[in-house]
Amino acid sequence: MTVTTDTFKTNFLPTWCPGCGDFGIWMSLKNALAELNIGTDDGVVVYGVGCHGNMYDWMKIYGVAALHGRTLPVAQGLKFANHKLPVMVISGDGDGLGEGGNHFMHAAKRNPDIAVFIHDNQVYGLTTGQASPTAQQGFKTKSTPEGVADEPINPLSLALTAGATFVARGFAGDTPGLTAIMKAAIEHKGFAVVDILQPCVTFDKVHTYAWYRQRLYKIEAEYKPDNKLKAIEKAMEWGDKIPVGVLYKEERPTSEDREAALAGEPLKDLPLTIANLDELLHEFI
Amino acid sequence: MMDSVTWKIGGEAGFGIMSSGIMLSRAFARMGYHTFATNEYPSLIRGGHNVITVRIAKDKFESMNRDIHVLVALNKQTIEVHKNELNEGAVVVFDPKDGEYKPEDFPKPVKLLPIPLRDLVAKGMGDPIMRNTVALGVTVALLGAPFEALSSVISDQFKKKGEEVVKHNVDIAKLGYDQVKEDSMFLAKTAKKEDQLVINASEAIGVGAARAGLKFAAIYPMTPINSLITFLADHAKSLNLVYKQPEDEIAGINMAIGASVGGVRSMVATSGGGFALMVEGLAWGGMIEAPLVIDLGMRVGPSTGMPTYTEQGELQFVIHAGHGEFPRIVLAPADVEEAYQLTVDAFNLADRYQVPVFLLTDKYLNESTWCAPKSVFAGDVVIDRGKLVKEQDLPADGSFKRYDLSGPDGVSPRSVPGMKNGFHYANSYEHDEVGHTTEAADKRIAMAAKRLKKFEAIKKDMMVPQVYGDAEAEITFITWGSTRGPVLDAMKLLNKKSRLIHYSWIYPFPAEETMKLLSPATRLIDVEQNATGQLAALIREHTGILIKEKILKYDGRPFFPEEIVEKL
Repeated sequence: MTVTTDTFKTNFLPTWCPGCGDFGIWMSLKNALAELNIGTDDGVVVYGVGCHGNMYDWMKIYGVAALHGRTLPVAQGLKFANHKLPVMVISGDGDGLGEGGNHFMHAAKRNPDIAVFIHDNQVYGLTTGQASPTAQQGFKTKSTPEGVADEPINPLSLALTAGATFVARGFAGDTPGLTAIMKAAIEHKGFAVVDILQPCVTFDKVHTYAWYRQRLYKIEAEYKPDNKLKAIEKAMEWGDKIPVGVLYKEERPTSEDREAALAGEPLKDLPLTIANLDELLHEFI
Repeated sequence: MMDSVTWKIGGEAGFGIMSSGIMLSRAFARMGYHTFATNEYPSLIRGGHNVITVRIAKDKFESMNRDIHVLVALNKQTIEVHKNELNEGAVVVFDPKDGEYKPEDFPKPVKLLPIPLRDLVAKGMGDPIMRNTVALGVTVALLGAPFEALSSVISDQFKKKGEEVVKHNVDIAKLGYDQVKEDSMFLAKTAKKEDQLVINASEAIGVGAARAGLKFAAIYPMTPINSLITFLADHAKSLNLVYKQPEDEIAGINMAIGASVGGVRSMVATSGGGFALMVEGLAWGGMIEAPLVIDLGMRVGPSTGMPTYTEQGELQFVIHAGHGEFPRIVLAPADVEEAYQLTVDAFNLADRYQVPVFLLTDKYLNESTWCAPKSVFAGDVVIDRGKLVKEQDLPADGSFKRYDLSGPDGVSPRSVPGMKNGFHYANSYEHDEVGHTTEAADKRIAMAAKRLKKFEAIKKDMMVPQVYGDAEAEITFITWGSTRGPVLDAMKLLNKKSRLIHYSWIYPFPAEETMKLLSPATRLIDVEQNATGQLAALIREHTGILIKEKILKYDGRPFFPEEIVEKL
């Protein structure tokens, strides 16, 4: 059966605010999966907790709704159990970089074959508008009435220095562009991070679609995403001009590649009884 | 002639104290003796005072005894710290370079055996660190065993390092062996009946897990479960499994649950502090009904506590850990044989009921080197994966319900991501039968009740408490986990009739059996390695029976049978 965006339809309707950036990300994910022919039973998506994470109810593909911040360890466990199964992560900026910051760094350094999509809107929407770890300095929210004091986390430069092998930025307001990036991230063999800029139409009156559209530009066609230092430089561009596209791509053995037990069939299909176990007992005699 | 000898060696950390105790155990276990080694060391790598005690006996015993028959002092401090533990007639092996000792320096009459450990090592062109090897030679001679008993263990220990290293170590041990002219501690002879393993509980759990089909373990290093990591990492390839060191225990339990959802048998191991970090993940596992085995090796808390000392302080913690209400199973092995068997049981129970199963162990179990028949660990085991469905059995019409409510025991069929027609969500939120979020009152009640229904079903699988001793006893001891051994040995020393009711299968708590067993008893004595009597509290909670008399120990040192007798 051909996979289309309708494949993922459920009886649930989105509960996001009208105009929420999550719609664009959801649409782009469905497009990417349809183009890759990954249907309901062919992959698994791990969701964090936040507005983004509510997506599973209207996304008919095997889903794991994890705890807030814990998507990446769960995704890695799933990937070890079945390294032939596409594993994707729908995460938030608070979810993935606040509560899950340590997991993010360590996942990047291991390079599991997982695609991570960060819904980056600078606020905690589900708890009605507090500052997230990516909130820009000076940004006034419910938890920062005087404006955010701290430096924001840059998910892309963090991913690059930690060892991610595919790093890109997308925009929720550009479905065709985002579809292409998400598709490339899923196809990439290794830890792929896509930071997706997304307006929160309810709790952020500053970073609107218009605000982003004025600043975003597509990374130049001649840019080659094979140089980590240049990618970091690109990742640090923020202000009047903000680049969108693939910043970095590298082939490196994945964490699954390094496991002898994963050389063939998935772990889940390996025999449970170990033939040489009695022999191994001799080391204790 | 002695039936049981207790030997102690002490010195600085880094002087091969631990390995010499294990080699001695191995030498005698191979001859058919029953051996047991316990260690005591501070939480550091160099310096400090390290001690290992080895008991060797003709017949099986259950615990370490208190009085020392041979003390090997690799430094002066060992004599100062341990001279009060020496039995009358004990032999003290020391290097005269550490000081001149006279019999009146010791509280009880002892036999001094000065051995020039340093000079002998120098004579054998060895490194000063090899004094422990000389001491092993001395010990084996003292106990009247042939030198080959030791040399075969030395050659197995060093064979990876090559012939030359083996020969050097054997030669140095021989220099020690030849120093002893009379075998004053001659051990009664025994015959070898079958191969015995010299193994700790972490390793026994590793073997049990591999036997049960473990495929994934995520374990952050922590005393006292580190030798489980070593076992799994060393054998990952031949056992066809993945061991992963996570960034923290939070990641560990989430990875393990992820792998479990993905269809493989998975586990974590930690101590109390690490488990504190896992509690959030535990509740998630409870909500999505993921099978998981958790090995919790208890040590002295709270907080960092005394990291290398033993305690049974986490029974009530594991029973109550996690926000919200969900079923779980708690098993507490009493020795390495149970550590192996209960691990196999734990994996089957986890799959059968789709719940977290605890193996509640402790430092005493995990870092003591036990001795057990090889046959206990040999041969394939029954593996029951419960209601894990096969892909071909899934209905093609998409009607599969992962959280189907109709099962009488609360257990639903389980598919794994990637199976055709097995679509579902493993949802952290309250959910319906497919896994979709719900906040409807009736659906919430139905799903919560389904999960809790498992408690009753699990009870049918729970083994009843173990009963030892005399039915007409004056005294009834009550223990759980690793305190069984010292109490069983204490019962042999007592001059009155006694009985033991022991819990290795603790939770869901066997209330009915407990009522039957405890009510007629006259004098009940709860023996626990903690300060508050956590099992006694559990018994009170579930049966109303109040156990007034308690022998509790919480100094981090395991019970000696002699002290239990003295406290009566």
